[in-house]
Amino acid sequence: MIVINGSTGLTLPNGNVITSATVSANSGTAALPNYTGTDTDTGMWFPDVNAVAISTAGVERLRIDSSGNVTGLTLQSENVSPYSGRNRIINGAMVIDQRNAGASVTPTDGQYSVDRWKTSLNVASKFSLQQSTTAPAGFINSLLATSLSSYSIGAGEVTGVQQLFEGLNVADLAWGTASAATVTLSFWVRSSLTGTFGGSLRNSAANRSYPFSYTISSANTWEQKSVTIAGDTSGTWLTTNGIGIQLYFSLGAGSTFSSTAGSWQSGNYISTTGAVSVVGTNGATFYITGVQLEKGTVATPFEFRSFGQELALCQRYFEKSYDTTTAVGTATRVGTVDWNFANMGTYGVVNIFYRATKRSSATVTNYDPDVANTVGLRYWNGSAEVQGTGSRDGWYGSQNSSRWALGSTPQSNAVFHWTASAEL
Amino acid sequence: MYKNYKQNPQTNYPPRSIERLSDGACIPFDPANTDYANFKREIAAGTAEVQDADGQPMAAADAKAYVAALP
Repeated sequence: MIVINGSTGLTLPNGNVITSATVSANSGTAALPNYTGTDTDTGMWFPDVNAVAISTAGVERLRIDSSGNVTGLTLQSENVSPYSGRNRIINGAMVIDQRNAGASVTPTDGQYSVDRWKTSLNVASKFSLQQSTTAPAGFINSLLATSLSSYSIGAGEVTGVQQLFEGLNVADLAWGTASAATVTLSFWVRSSLTGTFGGSLRNSAANRSYPFSYTISSANTWEQKSVTIAGDTSGTWLTTNGIGIQLYFSLGAGSTFSSTAGSWQSGNYISTTGAVSVVGTNGATFYITGVQLEKGTVATPFEFRSFGQELALCQRYFEKSYDTTTAVGTATRVGTVDWNFANMGTYGVVNIFYRATKRSSATVTNYDPDVANTVGLRYWNGSAEVQGTGSRDGWYGSQNSSRWALGSTPQSNAVFHWTASAEL
Repeated sequence: MYKNYKQNPQTNYPPRSIERLSDGACIPFDPANTDYANFKREIAAGTAEVQDADGQPMAAADAKAYVAALP
């Protein structure tokens, strides 16, 4: 504190008056920067060696690191960021639900609810998943998990949802090398339960894990969480079209798959020891949305993409003939492949070209357009249109198309829906 | 349970995929395809069966040899 002329302060030539000034010997924090005006939670501080940061209202807004990288900057124009493409999560706002169109599912292991969010479990029917319209301000959807019983999770049991990142999309993180980049995970979460919850990042072989924890303080209230994770300098991390990183949000995990939060470990861990088990309370709810994983040490505002952009990103992994808001298996002729041919002879062939190039050659399935949730097609048998599979031979899939061939049973036309999956 | 497709007699293209009978899915012989990797893993472990194109189950040893020859 500098006091000159009693309470008057230091009068400058231009008439301004410095009434007080504080210089700290430490590096400061976002809440208490070193250099401030009278507003002590707004100013400049030093978060690291050769780094400087600026905070307002006690929150870090801008940081320049030792390499000159700038993070955390938000332009005045709302929702516009200089860092387009920084969110490695696809469908982090849970807006795309190609398979179920908002319907609730009691998933099996590996089943998808909203796009890109894959169920992980080894104990059946303990929770349901559904795209929800309950969401924090600025979002319209979330992923809702609801516990279906009061289940005491066994030591070797797991329940949760995960997103698997294609290695090609996280190659620049250089994990598994000395140059491994730090990432920050942020998300909005809400639960009927409170306490410490768990999740993890893992490599494809699940022999490198970083368990993380976050605390939900108030029941049934949206809270935003962030976790900053130094990149793993060990282990094998794929940079191919295989699994690069696995992000896991646990709904309940046994001790075999739980460990201490906050460090990279050898082994397969998907949660933290003692974390809240959502499946342990009948009717418990867990909502999550606004999930973002980005390079750097600061959680920047959620990167909103247009619906079309998000859908296209999802279609690299899953695509369907049905309209966007029509669930797979719905009985409808809207969007079908209508394959008409005359005098087919022994075989008829049609190619279907995808809207998005797939991660790998796709697994394809066809559906009867008139009978709900029935694999097959409708075809003309010479006197009537009937349901069947035909004599499907030689279906060839690639990253860009499927080649569909029918045997001799259908005589002049066939109608069907299709899905193509190249999920990780 | 999986089943081989018949070869298209018009094109004579050999099948490059296999049918998963539980849901009728057509799984391509692409090592990067997750379903294909699961198929190979299940056959190698003896936890799934493969039928030939006529629906006749292949002996476990034959199935393993068949899968081992795939890409």
